[in-house]
Amino acid sequence: MNGAVTFEELKSRGEKAVRAGQLEEAQDLFDQALTWAREQGEQPQVDLGICNRAAVVIEMGRGDGEVPHLREILVRNVDPFICQLAAYNISRHYELTKNYKKSLFYARIALERAGVLGRRDWLASSHNLIGNTLLAESFIVEACREYEKALEHAPQEPTAARGQILDNLGYCRVLQGRHREGYRLLYESLRILKRCGAQRYEISVRLDLCFAHLETSRLRLSHRHGIAALALAEAMEDQASIKNALYLLGEVAHLSDDVEAARGYFGRLHRDFFPDAGYLPEFLLAVDIRKLVNLHA
Amino acid sequence: MAAEKIRQVQLVGRKIRELRKEHKLTQVELSSRLGIQQSDLSRMEKGEYRVSLDTLFRILAEFKVSIGEFFEGVAKESITPRDVQLVQSFNALSEDVQREVEEFIAFKRSKEGRHEAGPDTMRAWEADE
Repeated sequence: MNGAVTFEELKSRGEKAVRAGQLEEAQDLFDQALTWAREQGEQPQVDLGICNRAAVVIEMGRGDGEVPHLREILVRNVDPFICQLAAYNISRHYELTKNYKKSLFYARIALERAGVLGRRDWLASSHNLIGNTLLAESFIVEACREYEKALEHAPQEPTAARGQILDNLGYCRVLQGRHREGYRLLYESLRILKRCGAQRYEISVRLDLCFAHLETSRLRLSHRHGIAALALAEAMEDQASIKNALYLLGEVAHLSDDVEAARGYFGRLHRDFFPDAGYLPEFLLAVDIRKLVNLHA
Repeated sequence: MAAEKIRQVQLVGRKIRELRKEHKLTQVELSSRLGIQQSDLSRMEKGEYRVSLDTLFRILAEFKVSIGEFFEGVAKESITPRDVQLVQSFNALSEDVQREVEEFIAFKRSKEGRHEAGPDTMRAWEADE
C-alpha cells in the first residue's frame, strides 16, 4: 500500500465518520492522516489534514487552538480549495463562539473561493453560513436572501446540508409571520434530516417547529416538538439547545394555563443555566419574551 | 395570565435605553460591559434586534433592578388611551352583547389566520413526519 492511498483512505474514512455524526472517531482518523502527511513532508496534504481535523474539532466546540493554524494557511496557501476550507472553518468557529462579525468576514472569503472553484455545494454552504451570521444579528431579510441562494446552489438530493438550509429559511419565515411557508420548509427539513439520521441537526428544526406552533397557538404540536427537541439535545449534550427547549416548553405550558409545569421548566432553566438569576421563573411567567428572543443567535 | 403579558419588544428596547441613561452609561460603555457591539445595542433599543437567552439575562443582570421595576414602566406604556377606551366601551355592553363581540373577534381572528396552513395540510405534514 503506498502512502498516498493511506492518506486518502484515512481522510475518506474520517469524512464518512463525519457524515455519520461520529465526530470523535472522525477526529482520530484525521489526526492519523495529519501525522502521516507530516511524516511524508507533504505540505499540501499537511494543510488539508489541518483543515479536516480543525473542521471536526471546531464542530465539537473545541476550536480555539485551531484558528491560528487555519489563518496561517489562509495567508500562505494560494490554492483556492485549501483556502476555502480554512476560511469556512474559521468562520464556523466564530459562528459557534457567537462572534458574528468575524464569522461574516471569513464566510465571505469562503464564498469567494467557492466561486473561483465553481463548487456549487461549497457555494451553498458558504451562503448558508453568511445567512447564519446575518440571522444571528437579526438581519432577517438579508439572511433570507442568503438562504435562498444557498438552496439554489445546494444539490437537490436530500442531504443533511440541504435540510439545515431549509430549517434556517423556515425559521426566518416564521419570524416574518409567513407561517404557511415557514411550516412547509420546516417540515421538509425535518423529513430530510430524519431520513439522513442527522439527529444533531434535527434538534434545531424541532425547536423551530416548537416555536412556530407556539406562534400560531397550536400548543399540543408545539409541546410535542419541544419535548422531542429536549430529549435529543440531552442525548447529544447540546447545552444551548437544552436552554432554548426549556424556555419554549415553559412558554407552551404557560400559554396552556399549566402554570406549575411552566414553573418547572423555567425553574430548571434557572438552576441549570442561570443560577444567579433567581428572578428568572417569575420573570418568564410575567413577561412574554418571544418577540425578543432569537433561537438562532 | 397570558393575556396580561407584555409583547411590545419596542417598548422593552425603550426601557433598556431609559435604564441605560438613568445609569449614565453611553451605548459604547454598556455594549462593552455586555460584550456586544454598540450598533447591536442601538438596534436593540429600537426594537430591531432579537437576542439569545444568554444576552437577554446578561442585560437584566447588568441593571440590577427588580423585574417588577424593570417592566412596570413598560406595562404602563403598553396600554394606550385607545386600549382603555375600548375596554371601557366593552364593559359598558350587556353580557349578551359582550359575548357577540367576543364571537365576532374570534371570527375575524380566524379570517386573519387563513394564510396559515390549514388543519388538513398540517395533519399531512405531521403524518409525513
